[in-house]
Amino acid sequence: MKVMTVWLDGLWDRNPGLVQLLGLCPLLAVSNTIDNAVGLGLATIFVLVLSNASISLIRHLVEDAIRLPVFVLVIAALTTCAELLVQAFDYPLYQSLGIFLPLIVTNCLILGRAEALARREPFVISTMDGLAQGLGFFMVLVSLGALREWASSTLILAALPPGAFIALGLLVALHQMIQSKLKDRRAKLTENSKDRRVRTTGDIS
Amino acid sequence: MIFRLTTFGLITSLFVGVIYVITQPLIIESKEQARLEQLYALAKPLLANGEIQASTTQTLPSGSPVTLSNPIEITAITNATAQVGTVIPFRSTEGYSGTIHMLMALDDRQRIVGVRVVDHKETPGLGDKIDTRKSDWILQFNGLSYGDLSPSDWAVDKDGGRFDSFTGATITPRAVVNALKETLNYLDANPQILETQQ
Repeated sequence: MKVMTVWLDGLWDRNPGLVQLLGLCPLLAVSNTIDNAVGLGLATIFVLVLSNASISLIRHLVEDAIRLPVFVLVIAALTTCAELLVQAFDYPLYQSLGIFLPLIVTNCLILGRAEALARREPFVISTMDGLAQGLGFFMVLVSLGALREWASSTLILAALPPGAFIALGLLVALHQMIQSKLKDRRAKLTENSKDRRVRTTGDIS
Repeated sequence: MIFRLTTFGLITSLFVGVIYVITQPLIIESKEQARLEQLYALAKPLLANGEIQASTTQTLPSGSPVTLSNPIEITAITNATAQVGTVIPFRSTEGYSGTIHMLMALDDRQRIVGVRVVDHKETPGLGDKIDTRKSDWILQFNGLSYGDLSPSDWAVDKDGGRFDSFTGATITPRAVVNALKETLNYLDANPQILETQQ
């Protein structure tokens, strides 16, 4: 049950990009092309999964007073590793991501998941949550990248910073629309079942 | 508590250290690859009548400007009879953050064939317009030689010179222009540095 919630939360119900609106700085800045979006998305997943996993592993060793410095240490170390790896294996990507790759360290999504979940939950759940939230973020980043790259050939605004805000706004609106439709349907379903219950009791009496 | 925090610090540093040692050779290789690509792109106009030679490392005499590393790696472009041009790296430490590494191609009369930024950490959206991927700013130096402009013109417009500084960022273009001026000035006075022995 918990596994289901973790995945649903990360990918849809509490998607970091569309609902929690965390990590907007890279989301808006690096979503101008699909290549950049995929690169930064993967790097973020890497850091998020490993930070959730390692923070969950050390959760019993870390007392409250040193909690934040330790989390920041872990996240900074992982981000540095991600930066080194990208530099080693895809130098052009490293050049086009520029400062946003080391800035993963300040992505509040990562510290947010460490604080909200990984410091309380066991290893498997935490790792899975990192993957789910990371994939949720990745999906939004790549859709934004695709949308903006596709639109920028006809509308130059899409490639510029305001285009990022507008495109993200549209995605958030779409998410809200689907959410409220789902809610309506769920409400109707429960209403129907209520009706039936009334009828059955009526039959019995 | 302090002990625990120190231990965590040491463990994470060790982890980063290990990854660093593993990736370092690969990073050096990719950087060299990127540098060569830039070098070829930069020297392209000269390649019509010459070929890129292997880089030579030279030690500069004392008194060379800080914009040139010492020893310096110089790449000559030659044809059968003469040297038609040179690609020389230079740098600026006056940027907004970190050293700006650049490459410059000069023809046989010390005219600029092209200037490119190879590596920088300037502010995205402001200072990074020195990069050809962001703007054409750096192409305005093409065709100039040191003697074409008076020394006071070799500066950004804010300093009374000939070159644009972009809105919101003066430090970065100033760093590039000043480094370029200093390097060209030095090479103008010491042209023998560009002549590599065959």
